[in-house]
Amino acid sequence: MIEVQSLTKRYGTHAAVEEVTFSVAQGEIVGFLGPNGAGKTTTMRCLTGFLPPSEGSARVAGHDIVSDSRSARANTGYLPESAALYPEMRVREYLAYRARLEGIKASEILDRVEEIVGLCLLEEVADRKVENLSRGYRQRTALAGSLVHQPPVLILDEPTVGLDPAQIIKIRETIRVLGRERAVLLSTHILPEVDAVCDRVLIIDRGRIVAEGTPEELRRRLAGTPVVRAAFRGEVSSVEALGAIPGVVSAQQTPGVGETRVRVECAEGAEVSEEIFRLAVSKGWVLRELSRESVSLEDVFVRLTHHEEAEAAPPEEAASGEEPLAGEAPEEAAASRGESARIES
Amino acid sequence: MRKFLAIVAREWRAYFFSPLAYVIVAAFLVMNGLIFYAIVNFLNSPNAPKGQALPYLFTNYYFWIFNLFVVPIIAMRLFAEERKSGTIEILLTSPVSETEVVLGKFVGALGFFLTLWAPTLIYVWILRSQIPIDLGPVGAGYLGIVLLGGYFLSVGTFASTLTKNQIVAAILAFGMLIPIFSTGLAESMITDPSKRDLMTYFNLWDHMEDFARGIVDSRRVIYYLSATAFFLFLAVISLTAKKERP
Repeated sequence: MIEVQSLTKRYGTHAAVEEVTFSVAQGEIVGFLGPNGAGKTTTMRCLTGFLPPSEGSARVAGHDIVSDSRSARANTGYLPESAALYPEMRVREYLAYRARLEGIKASEILDRVEEIVGLCLLEEVADRKVENLSRGYRQRTALAGSLVHQPPVLILDEPTVGLDPAQIIKIRETIRVLGRERAVLLSTHILPEVDAVCDRVLIIDRGRIVAEGTPEELRRRLAGTPVVRAAFRGEVSSVEALGAIPGVVSAQQTPGVGETRVRVECAEGAEVSEEIFRLAVSKGWVLRELSRESVSLEDVFVRLTHHEEAEAAPPEEAASGEEPLAGEAPEEAAASRGESARIES
Repeated sequence: MRKFLAIVAREWRAYFFSPLAYVIVAAFLVMNGLIFYAIVNFLNSPNAPKGQALPYLFTNYYFWIFNLFVVPIIAMRLFAEERKSGTIEILLTSPVSETEVVLGKFVGALGFFLTLWAPTLIYVWILRSQIPIDLGPVGAGYLGIVLLGGYFLSVGTFASTLTKNQIVAAILAFGMLIPIFSTGLAESMITDPSKRDLMTYFNLWDHMEDFARGIVDSRRVIYYLSATAFFLFLAVISLTAKKERP
């Protein structure tokens, strides 16, 4: 439903998005993950027709986003990062306005608005003014606005930002339901969100896609050497014996109080836990812990998007302040992201 | 068409949710109330030419001061506000063309401008009950209002696409309207007859006086309509070009 081919967006000489290629199929929820300023919003703005791409092409629901922009836009539901609304409008009124903008027939508008109010759990506030709503309801109203014409493609820019945990769970549930028959591209920098909602992940960094796959695949691919940790009661001599187990690359003792802790690196695909257990039994060691070290998506993300200091901040980019990087302190990143958002819009 | 009307309706209604609109309405009605008082006073003198009373509604100094200052304020929010709040992103990613957006907003603003003028029809009705009034010149005067309001608002619409700061948009519009208005006034300073003839095309003051006297010159109508179209066209270009730049 979404096909992106070598999409590039440049601002002057600075490429915000470079040669990005991916696709999203119907019934699939794809997470667009990256540090602030990585090019997520720019890519989404290109796909929704708000920004024209500098190079490359993209099709949404079969319509080219440049030559057939109107049809592409008609098939897209877009929730912008700002989730901006008209403060003076009431929720129902706003949704009816969005429906009219989408060209829905007057006779269908009321039904469509009621349906979407129900879907997005807005009944309680449907006749309140947007300016008097809480952040969570505003976000839901903005999401509802992007759904009112039942688009086959949904592009959601940070749909859960600024919500409390209960609201986040509700919005995620809604998105999962929506994703059953639609193509959903959802950007986030919240990692658990990807695990909770997405079928597939695209990790974007500094305008380029650096990894792609299901959360599981990414973890496996980037896990590197599998590691097993073991702990034995008391002092254990001849830990080196572990190194003799087939499939074990190395066994190192790590600090532990009242116990002997060992970090065992094994070869790809080797199943060494059972052998460690047997060895412990035969040697009379008391096994307290035996666990496989699991790689979190966080580790994957940090590994992919972490840059060495010098590499991360080339002088001209650091000076322009347009591209906040993963290495920055969160506050700084947030501040300069606000800056770049202002520049972009 | 449905989408265009949705934008018109939203723009028109949005005015009534802003305190600024009520300040403008109040100032406008006070100003026109004073002018009406002056008209009634004028009619009080025994040998006043009664036919010349009502045209005064469209040919006084305050009329121009109001249009030059207030029209930019009416138009300033059209695009600047949406750009600032971010709602422009929703509007431009909806399946609506830039032309529909510009025209919809322009017509919505023109609607508000005419809503301002609507109560002045009461003056016509009151005067009609006292003295005979020829409705021809009155109609022409109001036609002049629509044309002039449209022209000035198109300039304001264009100015509003240039910035996300509403005050800057209003000042830009004012800065464009002043030369547009004063070019025609230079007519009185020019002696060369051919140049003078040319300047009469731009003399908005004289045009309004003509309208108020009931003279609807097609050259004037074409001038207003084409100038309005030109500035709206600029607004569409500006809105499209804004997409190119961050």
